[in-house]
Amino acid sequence: MTTLKIQLQFGGGAELLFDKIKKREVELPSLKKYFPESQKEKWTIKELLVWMKDNLLMERPELFVQGDSVRPGILVLINDADWELYGELSYEVQENDVIMFISTLHGG
Amino acid sequence: MDFISKLEKEIEELRQNLASKEQELLSIKHKMGTAEIHMDNQNGSSLEQTKALKVQFGETLPKWAIERYSRQILLPEIGVCGQEKLMQGRVLIVGAGGLGCPAAVYLAGAGVGEIGIIDYDTVDLTNIHRQFLHTEGDQNISKAESAANSLRSINSRIKVTPYNVQLDSKNALDIASKYDIILDCSDNVPTRYLLSDVSVLTKIPLISGSALKMEGQLTVYGYRADKNPSEKDTTYRGPCYRCVFPSPPPAESVGSCSANGVAGSVPGAIGALQSLEAIKYLVGQTKETLLVERLLLFDGEDMTFRTVKLRGRNLKCPICSDTPTITRLVDYEMFCNSSAQEKDLDLKILGPENRISATELADKLSEIDLEQRHLLVDVRSEPEFKMCSIDGAVNYPLDQMYRNFDDLLGEIRRCTSHVTFICRRGNDSQIAAKRVLEEIEENHRSKIKDLFGGLHAWSKNVDCNFPIY
Repeated sequence: MTTLKIQLQFGGGAELLFDKIKKREVELPSLKKYFPESQKEKWTIKELLVWMKDNLLMERPELFVQGDSVRPGILVLINDADWELYGELSYEVQENDVIMFISTLHGG
Repeated sequence: MDFISKLEKEIEELRQNLASKEQELLSIKHKMGTAEIHMDNQNGSSLEQTKALKVQFGETLPKWAIERYSRQILLPEIGVCGQEKLMQGRVLIVGAGGLGCPAAVYLAGAGVGEIGIIDYDTVDLTNIHRQFLHTEGDQNISKAESAANSLRSINSRIKVTPYNVQLDSKNALDIASKYDIILDCSDNVPTRYLLSDVSVLTKIPLISGSALKMEGQLTVYGYRADKNPSEKDTTYRGPCYRCVFPSPPPAESVGSCSANGVAGSVPGAIGALQSLEAIKYLVGQTKETLLVERLLLFDGEDMTFRTVKLRGRNLKCPICSDTPTITRLVDYEMFCNSSAQEKDLDLKILGPENRISATELADKLSEIDLEQRHLLVDVRSEPEFKMCSIDGAVNYPLDQMYRNFDDLLGEIRRCTSHVTFICRRGNDSQIAAKRVLEEIEENHRSKIKDLFGGLHAWSKNVDCNFPIY
């Protein structure tokens, strides 16, 4: 089973939870290897969030995830489009996808 | 010193004199303005009669307007027709700050007929680095008034209305209904939800801008094609803020310019673009060219602009769907669990036994004893610490505290004297001290204190040379 290469991007302050790094290439192991119990064959955003929480999230997980989704005020973009257009958590992650987590700004 | 205060007084009097003269000039110009338009028309008709020549000024544009706004009338996107629309246009700007100032300047410059500007706050010295409608002489006066005065001096042909009020559920609909478009130049979550709901209920679109640190965001909410005859599908409606963000973020995740900082040019850029969207909307551009269902992300750090696709209107949205559950304005501070005004928090996390006042700390520090070195732990961010700190303090920023937590605990265990946690206002320092108190052995706990009121109290009660920021 092969790995899956994707790019993760962070902005609007969401990068602060991820060691202040705004862009990173990551290689996901095969889903079966990471989640042996999973019934699924392919990574979806739902598993990606768990993987990110386990492997990348530096501190204060409650400011990134809430339940099994992202917390209110973080917008997820899949290849520059709102994840709502792609089924949110159930979107199947594809090789070379750029997945961006943008915290909304309120300052002015 | 007498000489300085005498000069300051004279300058203040001159400023007041200048303001009243400007006001006088303005009212004269207003009267002249109408006279000028009359003369233009008369000249036109007399020319027509005598020489059978007619000067065309478009439909209604007078000579002064053509001259004044020629640079944008030259654009096919605006033209004479667009300029007429701008001069009849009414824009409400909410917030006379980092976004509101640039937005208002370009709208006033473009000759938008009526500009309303809302802000409850007064001008503070820390505003002026980016809020350029306010000057040093405007400190402590209403930001709405100060901005309105500057706008009038930029363009005396337009109507500017300052609203020196906190926009809330009681006054928002009344004020907004007098305008064609709203610019969200506010700085807090409750006002953003309030304005979105106002936009839906009044059917007035909302151009929403925001900025923090080196980043900015911009989009248009509540767009309705039925207001624009150029739209092909007049039933189209764009998403509102609630469609995209149904729930407010946790209050502790929301940053502010005063806590996190902002590069002035960032809201400058976003505010300028807000004015451009307002101008495009007023001249009748359609959803294809406006930022409807699209979000502009600006990152000044690597100088990138990107526009991402947003979801459409949520057909089950609690306010903008066809079967709304919210039909009037609500309490937005309660909904967001945060305040619409910047208030200094005054947390009480630690008991009195673990707190120390600025004067007590100063007394302890003055008891010079090298063996009994007092440990000062400053938990502010590194840039803040470098900006100003108490002599001898060490920096353990709160947001990275756990990374070298063991070093800190070791340093505290080795300290035979007192340990005082310090931050700007005395809130974060309590959080930090509490983390340590929970971790460290009991015999070390009594020496741990928190500076009550933080460096603001230090500046006020001990060292007036310490900057308050």
